[in-house]
Amino acid sequence: MNRTGSLITLALLAMTGVGVTCVVQHSNAPHIAAERRQLEDRKLLDVLSVDTYDNQPLEQPLTLTDTDLRHSLLLGGYRATRAGQPVAVLLRSQTEGYAGRIELLIAVDADGRLLGVKTLEQTETPALGGHVGDWPNAWLQTFMGKSSKQPTDAGWALKKDQGQFDQIAGATVTSRATINAIHDALRYFDEHRTSLLGSAP
Amino acid sequence: MNTSATLSNSMMLVLLIGATDSVAGALATLLLFTVAVSAYGLCMTALRSRLSGESLLPVSLVLAATLASCGEILLQSASFQWHQLISLYSGLIGLQCVVLEHNGFFRLPISERLRLCGLFAALMTVLGVLRELIGQGSIGQHLSGRWQGLILFADGLHFATLAPGAFILLGLLLAARQAWTRPAPPEEKHHP
Repeated sequence: MNRTGSLITLALLAMTGVGVTCVVQHSNAPHIAAERRQLEDRKLLDVLSVDTYDNQPLEQPLTLTDTDLRHSLLLGGYRATRAGQPVAVLLRSQTEGYAGRIELLIAVDADGRLLGVKTLEQTETPALGGHVGDWPNAWLQTFMGKSSKQPTDAGWALKKDQGQFDQIAGATVTSRATINAIHDALRYFDEHRTSLLGSAP
Repeated sequence: MNTSATLSNSMMLVLLIGATDSVAGALATLLLFTVAVSAYGLCMTALRSRLSGESLLPVSLVLAATLASCGEILLQSASFQWHQLISLYSGLIGLQCVVLEHNGFFRLPISERLRLCGLFAALMTVLGVLRELIGQGSIGQHLSGRWQGLILFADGLHFATLAPGAFILLGLLLAARQAWTRPAPPEEKHHP
């Protein structure tokens, strides 16, 4: 086979290759984007068990007022509903840890009790405060079912600070910041209950 | 063993060590690898007679790149979760085709090719199962969104999921194979 023939084959193949790749990419792009969004949502929403809600909480963010709390800052909120009834409010809270910001997703049920907490972002010391980012997280599960009044304000602290919660070993600052952020979020829920849950009781 | 065979084998090692930290990752890599290499082999059979020696490399590059990108996009579309596990290695599969081509793999008789691929697949699966079992105490986690996988114990030896752990495991497997296939040493004779 001569040189020109080879070159033509190469050129044809290159064009076909680029064309086919473009077509495949173009036809699959929307589906891939949807899959990616779904996966990200699932990662964020696994503080709630799947069968407790039936809406798409992340698609209807709540507008929050007075988001500057005592120890933390609220970045956003979402409402999970089931058959139109609000079942939970998710609050994205940001607080200052030992090494930087800690971002938490805090789920509160309609009665103001904690459903779950998940760490979304943290830069704490690995193997010490960094454990706050583990998922599933045994330490964060000790807060399940607590509300802003139960335990009392004094109880919402580390045992070291005469409160009732254990801390992550070797990470007092991280633990304190996390507890305060959770308490803040629960208090915020109590104060803004009606607007967070919408018109329903 | 000549240089290009060593090169090709060490390229295989990247997939073998890198993509086998879980069963799902190993299977996804294997699937993409099988599809890309067989499609490449088919296309090259049709094209090889029309190409002169020097244009073989660019053609194989273009073909491998096309197949690898299309395979990656299709995998992404079919199961985004699987793609997340192996996204780092899916591009390498294209390069793998070129290296195999350069190494004369596609000129081997078909039975020999199948034997090598089967060996690779078996090794990938065994390593994937062993590493996930030792490292995370489970088998088949992340295989699908619905199924949690077979969880045998809660906490594993994290080292097995890292690359050095994979090297050690592979070494142990090879040693076990050698011990298995080595002829038994002749019995010692007692001299009175």
